[in-house]
Amino acid sequence: MASHTKPPDQRIEWPDQARAVVCVTIHVDGPAVEAGRSQNALGIHSRGNYALRRGIRRYLDMLDRHGVKATFFCCGYDAEHWPEPFHEIHQAGHEIAAHGYQHEGFDLGEREPELLEKTHRILAAFGSPPVGWCSPSGRKSRLTLPTLRRLGYIYDASEKDEDIPYLLEDGFMILPNNTVSLDDFPMYFTGGASAAEVERNFVQEFDAALDRDGYVHLTVHPRAGGGSGTPARAAAVDRFLAYAKATSRVRFMTCRELAEYCLSDAARWRDARS
Amino acid sequence: MNGTLLITVNVHGIGPEAASMPEAELFGRDAHGRYTYRIGLARVLDALRAYGLPATFFWPAMEAEKLPRLVDRCLRDGHEIASHGRAFEDHAQLAPDEEASLIGEAHEVLRRLSGVAPRGFRAPTGTLSQNTIPILQALGYRYDSSFLDDDSPYPLTAHGGDGMIELPISEALTDATHFRRRVTQDRAEELMREELSALLAVDGYACLTFHPRADIGVGRAARLPLIERLARLAEEQGARPALCGRFAEQIHIAGTANTIENAGD
Repeated sequence: MASHTKPPDQRIEWPDQARAVVCVTIHVDGPAVEAGRSQNALGIHSRGNYALRRGIRRYLDMLDRHGVKATFFCCGYDAEHWPEPFHEIHQAGHEIAAHGYQHEGFDLGEREPELLEKTHRILAAFGSPPVGWCSPSGRKSRLTLPTLRRLGYIYDASEKDEDIPYLLEDGFMILPNNTVSLDDFPMYFTGGASAAEVERNFVQEFDAALDRDGYVHLTVHPRAGGGSGTPARAAAVDRFLAYAKATSRVRFMTCRELAEYCLSDAARWRDARS
Repeated sequence: MNGTLLITVNVHGIGPEAASMPEAELFGRDAHGRYTYRIGLARVLDALRAYGLPATFFWPAMEAEKLPRLVDRCLRDGHEIASHGRAFEDHAQLAPDEEASLIGEAHEVLRRLSGVAPRGFRAPTGTLSQNTIPILQALGYRYDSSFLDDDSPYPLTAHGGDGMIELPISEALTDATHFRRRVTQDRAEELMREELSALLAVDGYACLTFHPRADIGVGRAARLPLIERLARLAEEQGARPALCGRFAEQIHIAGTANTIENAGD
C-alpha cells in the first residue's frame, strides 16, 4: 500500500479567511410535532413540551455563554400557541426561521402554500419576516420553493447532496444540512448512541471539515426523546461548542448571515469547487 | 499467513430512490444519492488513489450513463468495472425473458462506456432469480458477488453457473449495514474491524463493500480514511488487496475454491 496522504480537497473561501464556518441550528420541534400526528401533548406525548419548559432556555443560556448566534427553525404552531420563548429567542439576537406549521412530514398537496404562508405570518410577528426554511421531514414538493420565493425567502436548508452551500439557477441559496454526521436525532433515536459517542462523531466531522470544505452545519433538538434538550445530551453539545470555539479562525454564523454572505458574490456559488 | 482482501464499491447514486419515484420529484432526504454525483464518487476515487488501493466498482448501467467520465477514471486508476444490473430492478421478480434482456442491456452499456466486457455481477437489490446465474454464464461472466452464505469463494455449478465462482459478501463488512442503522462512525468501524479480523482468520478471504453516498456510505471526508484503516488491518493479517476479476481467474486456474456443498440444496 502506498502513502498515507489525505485526498486532495479544495479550499472554499470563507469570510475573513476562516478555516471553517459553523452554523448552529436549533430545530425547536415543540408540541407541534405531536399535534401534527393528532396526539395530545400529555403523558408520553409531552416530549415536545420539554423544549418549551426546559430545552429552549437551556440552549439560550448555552449560546449566550459561548457568545454564539444561532438559527432557530420554528414550527408555526408552537410559536402561535406558546409565543414567550420565541420572543426570548428573537430578543437574544438569534435568527428565527421556518420549519413547517405542525412539522408536517407528509405530502401536503395543494394545501402546502397556504401552510407555508400561515407559518410565515406567525413567525414574522416576532421581529422580522423569516428568510430561511428547513423542511421538517427533509422532503419538499414542486410547490415549496416557488412559494418560499414569493414570500421573500433567500435560502433552503434541506438538501443533503453537498458539503458546501450552492446557488440554484434562479438565485436561491441552498445551505445543505448534515443529517448524517451533525444531527443529534438520527444517532440517538435510531442509532442508540450515548452522548459521548455523539459528541465524538460531531468532533470527527468538524475536524474533517476544518481547512477543507469548512462548512459545519450542526442541528440539535431541544426536545426530550431523540433530541438534545435533556442535561447529558445538552452537555455534549456544550462541550462540542467549546471545542469549536477553541479552534483558531472558526467563524460562527447564522444561516441568514451565511446566505447573505454567499449572495453578495452569488455567481461564485454556482459551482464553488471549480 | 496469505490472504486476499477484495475492496468493492457499489456505485449507488439516486438510482435506488429513482427506481420507485420520478427523479425530478426527489428532494432532500430522498435525494442523498445526488451526493455521489456531486462529490462522493470522486472523493472515493481520490482516496483509493491516495491510499494506493485497487477496487472493483459494481456499476448499475443507469449510474454509469450519468457519470461516463468517472467510469473512465475508474479504468485509468486501475480499478475493475463490473455489472450491478440496469436500474435497481429486483431480479427475483423478473420474468426470464425480461431478466435476460435487462442483464444483456446493462452488459452492453458497460461495454460501450468502458470498452471492456464486464466479467462480474452483483445483484442491484441483492436478490436473484433461479435464472440469474445461468443468464450471466451464457454471457461469459466468470463470477458473481451477491451471496452471504460462505466465508470464502466457491463454484457456482449448483446454481447453473458452470465455470463461475461466487465471491461471497459479508453484511458486517458492508458500510451501509451500519450507517443505515445510524450508528456513529466509531461504532461502525468497531463492528467492521471485529468481523474483518475474525473472517480473515478462517480462510484468508474477506470482501469489503463501500458506497460513495454520504448517508449509507463512506463518501464523507470524515469517513473515507476508514477504507485505508480496514485495508491496513487486513494487511497486518497477511491479506493483500485484489481485483475481483483477477482473483476469480486465479481460483479458476488453481481450482482451489472450497467445495462446501450449498447447505440449502
